[in-house]
Amino acid sequence: MRLGLTIDLDTCVGCHACAVACKEWNGESLMAGPLPDYKPYGNDPSGAWLNRIRSFEYGDYPENKTVNVPMSCLHCEEAACVTVCPTGASYKRPDGIVLVDPDKCIGCNYCAWACPYGARELDQTVGVMKKCTLCVDRIYDERLPEEDRQPACVLACPTQARMFGDFDDPQSSVAQAAAARGMSPMLADLGYKPVNSYLAPRCAPDVKVDAAKSPKKSLTQLLSEWVGASKAN
Amino acid sequence: MRPAFSVIFFTVSSGAGLGLLVWLVVLSATGLYGGVSPDMVLPMLALGLLLTTAGLLSSTLHLANPKNAWRAFSQFRTSWLSREGVFAAAIFPVAGLFGVLSMVDAPAAPRVFAGGLLVLLALGLLYCTGMIYACLKTIPRWHTRLVPAGYVLMGLYSGALAALPFLTRGFAEGVSPLALASLPLLAAFIIKAVYFFRFRAPDARFTLNDALPLGKKTIRLLDVGHTHGTFLTDEFYFKLARSHAQRLRVAALGLGFVVPLLILASGTRSVVLLAAAAVSCLLGLLAERWLFFAEAEHVVRLYHGASRI
Amino acid sequence: MIKTRNQPIKFEDTAQQEVKCTTCYMCACRCGIEVTLQEGRIRFIKGNRKHPVNQGVLCAKGSAGIMKQYSKAKLTGPMLRKPGTERGAGEFVPISWDAALEMLTKRLAHIRATDPKQLAFFTGRDQMQALTGLWAQQFGTPNWAAHGGFCSVNMAAAGLYSIGYSFWEFGAVDWDRTKYFVLWGVAEDHSSNPIKIGLDKLKRNGAKFVSINPVRTGYSAIADQWLPIRPGTDGLLALAIVHELLSRQLFDAPFLARYTNSAWLVIDAPGTSKDGLFLRDAVGQPLIRDQNTGQFANGLGADIDPALFGEFQTPEGVRVRTVLTLAASRYIDERYSPKAVAERCGVAADVIERLALEMATIAFEETIEIPVRWTDVWGKTHDKVVGRPVSMYAMRGVSAHSNGFQTCRALHLIQMLLGALEGPGNFRARAPYPRPIPPLILPENNATTINAPNTPLGKPPLGFPMRPEDLAIDADGKPLRIDHAYSWESPLAAHGAMHMVITNAVNADPYPIDTLILFMANMAWNSTMNTSGVQDMLRAKHETGPNAGEHKIPFLVVADAFESETVQFADLVLPDTTYLERFDAISLLDRPISEADTVADAIRHPIVALDRNVRPWQEVLVDLAGRLKFPAFTNAEGNPKFKGYTDFIVNYEKVPGIGFLAGWRGKDGSKSLRGEPNPDQWNRYIENGAFFTHHWAESEKWMRLWNRDYQQKAVEAAFILEVEPIIMQIYSEPIQKFRLAGQGLYEGPKPSDPQDRARLSRYFDPLPDWYPNLENIDADEKAFPFHAITQRPMVMYHSWDTQNVWLRQIMAGNFLYMNAASAAARGFASMDWVWVESRLGKIRCQLKTMEGVEANTVWTWNAIGKQTGAWALEPGASESTHGFLLNHLISEQLPTKPGDRKLTNSDPITGQAAWYDLKVNVTKATAGEEGVWPQFGAATTVKADA
Ligand SMILES: Nc1nc2c(c(=O)[nH]1)N[C@H]1C(S)=C(S)[C@@H](COP(=O)(O)OP(=O)(O)OC[C@H]3O[C@@H](n4cnc5c(=O)[nH]c(N)nc54)[C@H](O)[C@@H]3O)O[C@H]1N2
Ligand SMILES: Nc1nc2c(c(=O)[nH]1)N[C@H]1C(S)=C(S)[C@@H](COP(=O)(O)OP(=O)(O)OC[C@H]3O[C@@H](n4cnc5c(=O)[nH]c(N)nc54)[C@H](O)[C@@H]3O)O[C@H]1N2
Ligand code: SF4
Ligand code: SF4
Ligand code: SF4
Ligand code: SF4
Ligand code: SF4
Ligand SMILES: [Mo]
Repeated sequence: MRLGLTIDLDTCVGCHACAVACKEWNGESLMAGPLPDYKPYGNDPSGAWLNRIRSFEYGDYPENKTVNVPMSCLHCEEAACVTVCPTGASYKRPDGIVLVDPDKCIGCNYCAWACPYGARELDQTVGVMKKCTLCVDRIYDERLPEEDRQPACVLACPTQARMFGDFDDPQSSVAQAAAARGMSPMLADLGYKPVNSYLAPRCAPDVKVDAAKSPKKSLTQLLSEWVGASKAN
Repeated sequence: MRPAFSVIFFTVSSGAGLGLLVWLVVLSATGLYGGVSPDMVLPMLALGLLLTTAGLLSSTLHLANPKNAWRAFSQFRTSWLSREGVFAAAIFPVAGLFGVLSMVDAPAAPRVFAGGLLVLLALGLLYCTGMIYACLKTIPRWHTRLVPAGYVLMGLYSGALAALPFLTRGFAEGVSPLALASLPLLAAFIIKAVYFFRFRAPDARFTLNDALPLGKKTIRLLDVGHTHGTFLTDEFYFKLARSHAQRLRVAALGLGFVVPLLILASGTRSVVLLAAAAVSCLLGLLAERWLFFAEAEHVVRLYHGASRI
Repeated sequence: MIKTRNQPIKFEDTAQQEVKCTTCYMCACRCGIEVTLQEGRIRFIKGNRKHPVNQGVLCAKGSAGIMKQYSKAKLTGPMLRKPGTERGAGEFVPISWDAALEMLTKRLAHIRATDPKQLAFFTGRDQMQALTGLWAQQFGTPNWAAHGGFCSVNMAAAGLYSIGYSFWEFGAVDWDRTKYFVLWGVAEDHSSNPIKIGLDKLKRNGAKFVSINPVRTGYSAIADQWLPIRPGTDGLLALAIVHELLSRQLFDAPFLARYTNSAWLVIDAPGTSKDGLFLRDAVGQPLIRDQNTGQFANGLGADIDPALFGEFQTPEGVRVRTVLTLAASRYIDERYSPKAVAERCGVAADVIERLALEMATIAFEETIEIPVRWTDVWGKTHDKVVGRPVSMYAMRGVSAHSNGFQTCRALHLIQMLLGALEGPGNFRARAPYPRPIPPLILPENNATTINAPNTPLGKPPLGFPMRPEDLAIDADGKPLRIDHAYSWESPLAAHGAMHMVITNAVNADPYPIDTLILFMANMAWNSTMNTSGVQDMLRAKHETGPNAGEHKIPFLVVADAFESETVQFADLVLPDTTYLERFDAISLLDRPISEADTVADAIRHPIVALDRNVRPWQEVLVDLAGRLKFPAFTNAEGNPKFKGYTDFIVNYEKVPGIGFLAGWRGKDGSKSLRGEPNPDQWNRYIENGAFFTHHWAESEKWMRLWNRDYQQKAVEAAFILEVEPIIMQIYSEPIQKFRLAGQGLYEGPKPSDPQDRARLSRYFDPLPDWYPNLENIDADEKAFPFHAITQRPMVMYHSWDTQNVWLRQIMAGNFLYMNAASAAARGFASMDWVWVESRLGKIRCQLKTMEGVEANTVWTWNAIGKQTGAWALEPGASESTHGFLLNHLISEQLPTKPGDRKLTNSDPITGQAAWYDLKVNVTKATAGEEGVWPQFGAATTVKADA
C-alpha cells in the first residue's frame, strides 16, 4: 500500500482551507496534537502547522500564471527523515504513512533537516517533531461514517484539489489522476520518491472561432438588412 | 542553516578531544616524536575525554526533548546520529580501559588492543559526526565526502595541537612541534581549502524550477503563506551578511591556521604558547563551523524565496 | 526500501463527543457546519455534506471558527463610556443590561415622540435586514440601511433594473453545464465556497474560464485566460464586445424579441417630456411593431411577432424606434470598437474580438438542449429548454467604481444578446428572485409620515424608485434621509449609503441627528472611507451655539461582539453573542441561501453555552420594540406581543402564512414556503441540520421570468405578486425618466441645482454606457499615476478575523503590490518602504513586486491593518506595524470646484461607494523612514473597568 494525496495545482486557488482544517483536526488529535501557537495575540504570531500553502508566479507579465502549492508531508518512499532519525520516533507504516511517535522523539530536528519539502515542524513547547499524519486517526476510524474516513484537509478543500487514496491500487482515483496528469516529482534528483503527487496546472483548449463566418458590417448596411428582413416578412 | 552554538561547540570540542585521544594512543604506542611520557598519559586522556564530554553534553542542549535521549542509540542500523551516539557511548569504557592498562603497566598486547580500539572508535566517531551532515542530500554543501574527511582531519589537527603541550619529552629530545603538527595542519588546511573553492562559486545545484517542476519559465515566490517566521524559516533560513561571512572566514583562517602555524614555526617549546596555539585553533574552528552551518543552504529555501541554492 | 513498522493508532474518544449542525457565520456565505463538541468545548468544525451551499466543504475561516469562539477579543458585558472621559478614549464602566436598555429606551422613546428621523440605525453585513428594517420602519425613521450602499448595490441595482435578478447573491452560475465562463472583478465574493466548488466543476468539464481582473491571485490564478484590465474600464470592454456581437450579427434574435425589451418602441421626440419613453397603449402597456400585422401591438401580449429593428411613426405622428435599433446605432459606432477601447482598457483589440467570438461560438454552436416540458406565462407549452452555455459572474471589481451600475448593465447586455440567461449553462436566478423589473417596492418618501411622531413608516425605508416622484426628497428637493439616498445625489440608492452617514450627520446635512446605532460594522476603521477623518468626526463637538461642547453626533450606540476599533468610540456598547451562541434566521425575506435549483433558508441555534453577560442583538431589538411599543410588536393590551426573538420568528407573519422561515410551516409542520406558524419550527430545523430546502420541479427550474409553473409557486410563496412576463430591460425607462428630469423636461420633480442636472443628464443613460471614474475626470494623470485597489483575502473576513489566532498567522500584515517592471522603472525594489499619496492624504507602507498585476495598478489585501489596542492584540502587534488600510486615502466626497456642493464619492446613479476609483502616487520613503504610517494613539483598551 502507498497511501497518499494528489494535489491538483490546476484547481487549487490557495484558499488555505486545507491548512486550517488540518490545524484544527490535528491540533487536538491524539496522533499529532497539540499544535502550539506562539505569541497568538502578539507582534510576531506563529505556530506549528502540518500543511502550508505557498504561492508562486510562473512566467513573466503578462504571460504569468499564479500557482498555489499546498505542501504537507509527501510520505516519501525513500523517506530519509525516517532513516536519519536516531530514536526510531520517525517511522514508516506498512501502508506508507510516515509518522512520529512523540513518546520517542528527542526533538533533535535531524529529520526536519533530512526533509526536502519542509514538512516537519518542531513543537517548541514540548520539543517533539510534528508532521502530517495523513489523518491516520480519521482514515482508519471505523466509527466515522465511511465518507468521512478521509483526511481533514481533503474533506475541507472546496475545489476538490485534494484526493486521498492508495497509489498502489491502479483503480484508485489518486493513482489514475497521477497517471494522467501527475507532474514529475519535486526535487526528483534527491530520490525521495514522494508518494503524494501534484497534478499539473493546465489550460482549456482555445475555442475555435471563425471570424470570417460572421463578418463585420457597417451600421447602415446592417440596419438596412435588418429592417429589410423585417419588412420582407 | 541556523548555526546552533551547542552543536558547533560540540563538534569543535569533541573533535579536538577525539583527535587528542588518537594522538595519545598513536604516539604512546609508536613512540614517534618522542612518544608520550607516562606521566602525561593520564592528563592527556583526561583532557581528551573532558573535551569530548563537554562537546557531547553541549550537543544534548540542542535536543528539545532530552529526556528521551537514551533512545538515540536504537537506530544504529540507519542513522548516523544514532551511530554517533553509540560510538560516543563506547568511547568512555574503552578510554577508561586504555587508561587503566597504561597505568598498571600492562603487557603491550591488551594495551595496544585497547588503544587501537580507542583510535578506531574516535576516528569512527569523528567520521559519524561528519556523516551526519554529509548524508543529507537536502543540503548540497554538506552532501560531499569532503565533510567527513574534514571532520576527521580537523579533529586530528586540533587534537594534535591540543596534544603538543603534553609532549615535553619529545621536545626535550629535540622534536619540533611543527614537525608533529605540520602534517595534520596541512591536511586540514587542504581539505578546508578544497571545500572552500568547491563551494565558492554559486553554481546552483537546485533551482526553483527543480523544486516546482512547472516548466522552463521563470518562477518567483509570491507568498509563503505566513506573515512571520516559522520553524522552517528559523531553522533553514539563516541570513548571513556577506561582510560578516568574510570576517568569519578571516577568523577561521587566521585563528585556525595562521596563528598556530606562526607559533609553531617560531620554534617555541613554551607550554603556554603551545596551549595558546591550540586555543587559537579551537577558536578558529568555531568560526569555521559557524560558517559551515551559516553558509549551508537547505533545499527548502527554494520554497521560501530562493530561486537557486 | 525502508523497514516499516506498525504502532497502534490512538483514535478520538468519540463516546465523549456530540455533533450539532448549524450555520457558519465566519462570513456571509453561510455554509452548513457540523460542530463536534467534547465536554462542552468545540473540538472540530466540519462542513455539512447535505447542505445546499457548501456540500460538505469548508473554507479556512470556517474551520477557524473555533478560534473565534475562544477569542480574547469577545466583549463580556454592556458598557457605558466612563463619565468624564473623551469619546474614543476607549474607557468604559460596566452597566447592567436593565440599566442600559432602560436608558436607551428613554432616549429612543423621546426621539420617536418628537422627531423619529433623529435616530439613524445602520447595520453591517448582518443577515437580518428583514428584522432590522422592520424595526426601523416601526420606529418611524427612514434612516436605516445595511452595508449594501458601500458594498455592491451597483450589482444588485443593475441586475434588478435589467434582468430581474442579479449578481451578488440573487443569482448563480450553472456550473455543471456552462462551457464558457467569464469572471469580472471577483476575488472571493460572498458565495465563496459555491464559486470554488463551481470552478472545480468547470475545470473538470473542460470549460473555458476567463478572468478579467487587474490582479492574478486566487480564482484568477486558475483561469485559463487572464486579462489584466485597467481598473474602471470594464464597461468599455463589455461594450466593445457588444460592438462585435452586434456588428457581426451574433445575437439571439428570438430571445431578444420575446424575453427582452429589444423590440419595444422608444419615442424619439427630443426636447419634449416624452423623449426616450416607451410608446405605450392606453392602459400603459409597452408597444411593439408586429411584423405580421404591420400594426403596433402590446409588447407583453401572447401572439406577437415583434420587429427587432426599425423606425416607425404612429398615426399621431410620433416617431419611434425599437430599443435594438437604438442599441445598434449606439454600439456599432467606431468608438466602441475593440481598436478604439484597447489602449484605455489595456486589453489588445484582437483579444477583445476573440473574446466576443469565443462567447458567440459557444453560445450558438455548442447549444445545450434539455428535454423538459414547461409552460410559459403566455400559456404556450415547450418541450425543451435551450441553453447557450456562456455564463458570467461579476462583483466588486465592477461595482466599487462610480461607473459600476452602467458597467454591470453592460455585462447584462452581453448576456441578453447571447440569450444566455436563466437557461442551462447560464447565470440563473436564486429564489426569491426573479422579480419584476425593478421589484415593486417603493421606499418611504412621504415627509409627513417620516416626521410624524410615534408613527411607523407606511413603506419600508428602502426600495426601488421607478421615477423621480419616488425620490425621498422634500419640497425643496433636499434629501429626507441622512445618507442622501433617493435624493438627486443618489437617486437609485436601493441599499442606502451607509458610508455617508457620519459625514452628513456631523455636517447636519440635511439635518442633525441625535442617536446613531451601529450594528456589526466597523465604521471607525475599515468599513469607512477616510478613516482618520471619520474618527475625528466621531469625536467632533460643537464649538459654538446652544450645543457648544456637545458631540455633533450626540449619542453613539455600538452593537458588536468584539473589541473593534469602533467600539472604543461608543457611548453605549451593547455586546452581542457569537454565531455559535445564538438563534438566527437566514430568511427568504432577506438574503437567503437558495441555489438555482432549490429554495433554501437556514437557522443558527446555540451550540455552546453563554459564559458572558452578552445578549443576542436580535433579542435586544425585539425587547426594545416591545418597550417602545411598536405596533407590530405590541398586542391589543399594549403589551409586548413576542416573548423574544425565537417566538417572534415563529409567529410573525408578514402576510398570512409567510414568515421569516419557510420550512415546516403549518400547525403540524407539514407545509413548505407558506403556512400558519408552527410552534415547533425551530426544532424541526435543528433536526434537519439547521436548514430547509425545497427543490423546484424540472418544469419550474428554467426560464423563470416567463415560466408559469414556477411563477404560480412563486406567487404562493409570496416571492412575486402575480404570474406575468418579466421582460428584461436592455433599455431602462426609469433611468430615462431621471435623465429627463436632469434635462428639465420631466413632467414632475426636477432638480434645481445645476450639478444635479448635469449629473442626471450625463450619467442616467437608458442604454448601458461607459464614463471615466468620477474622481478622476479632472485629475492630473501624472500626479496620481496608479490605480489603487484592494482584494479580499481568502483567509480573512474584513477586520473581524484578526482576533483569530490561526488566521492571523497566515496574514498579520500586508504589502502594497506593484508590477515588477513598473517598480523597476521607478527604482523601487521589493520590501522598500514607500509613501502612497492620494488627493486626500498619504500613508506609508511596504512595497512588494509581482508579475500578476496590471502595470498601472497597485493593490493590497483589504482590512488587514488594525489600530493598536483593538481586537485584544498586544501593543505593537504586527497588524498595526506592518498592516495598513488604503481607506485613509479614499475620500467619501468627490473633489469639488469652488462654489460647488460636496457630493458623495459614489456612483451617481446608485450611491455605491467608489472605493476602487482611487488613484495614487507612490514614492520611495527616505532611508530610516520605516513602519506603517499613520499610527493611531497609544494602546487603548475597550474593556470596561471591573
Ligand atoms: N479599502 C477598502 N475598504 C472597504 C472595502 C474594500 O474593498 N476596500 N470593502 C467594503 C465592503 S464591501 C464592506 S461590506 C465593508 C465591511 O466592513 P465591516 O462591515 O466593518 O466589516 P467587519 O470589519 O467585518 O466588521 C464588522 C463588525 O462586526 C463585528 N461582528 C462580528 N461578528 C459579530 C456578531 O456576531 N455580532 C455583532 N453584533 N457584531 C459582530 C465585528 O467585530 C466588526 O466590528 O468594508 C468596506 N471597506
Ligand atoms: N474571505 C473573504 N470573503 C469575503 C469577504 C472578506 O472580507 N473575506 N468579504 C465579503 C464582502 S463584504 C464582499 S462585498 C464580497 C466581495 O467579493 P469580491 O467582489 O470578490 O471583492 P473584492 O476583493 O473587492 O474583489 C474585487 C476584485 O476585483 C478586482 N478589481 C478591482 N478593480 C477592478 C476593475 O476595475 N475591473 C476588474 N475587472 N476587476 C477589478 C480586484 O483585483 C479584486 O480581485 O466578498 C465577501 N467575501
Ligand atoms: S516529505 Fe519530508 S517528512 Fe514527509 S516523508 Fe518525505 S522526507 Fe519525510
Ligand atoms: S526530532 Fe524526533 S523524530 Fe526527528 S529525528 Fe529527532 S528524534 Fe527523530
Ligand atoms: S492529511 Fe491530515 S495531517 Fe496531513 S495535511 Fe491533510 S489534514 Fe493535515
Ligand atoms: S483547500 Fe484546496 S484549494 Fe484551498 S489551498 Fe488547499 S488544496 Fe488549495
Ligand atoms: S465560506 Fe467559509 S466562512 Fe463563509 S460561511 Fe462558508 S465556511 Fe463559513
Ligand atoms: Mo461587502
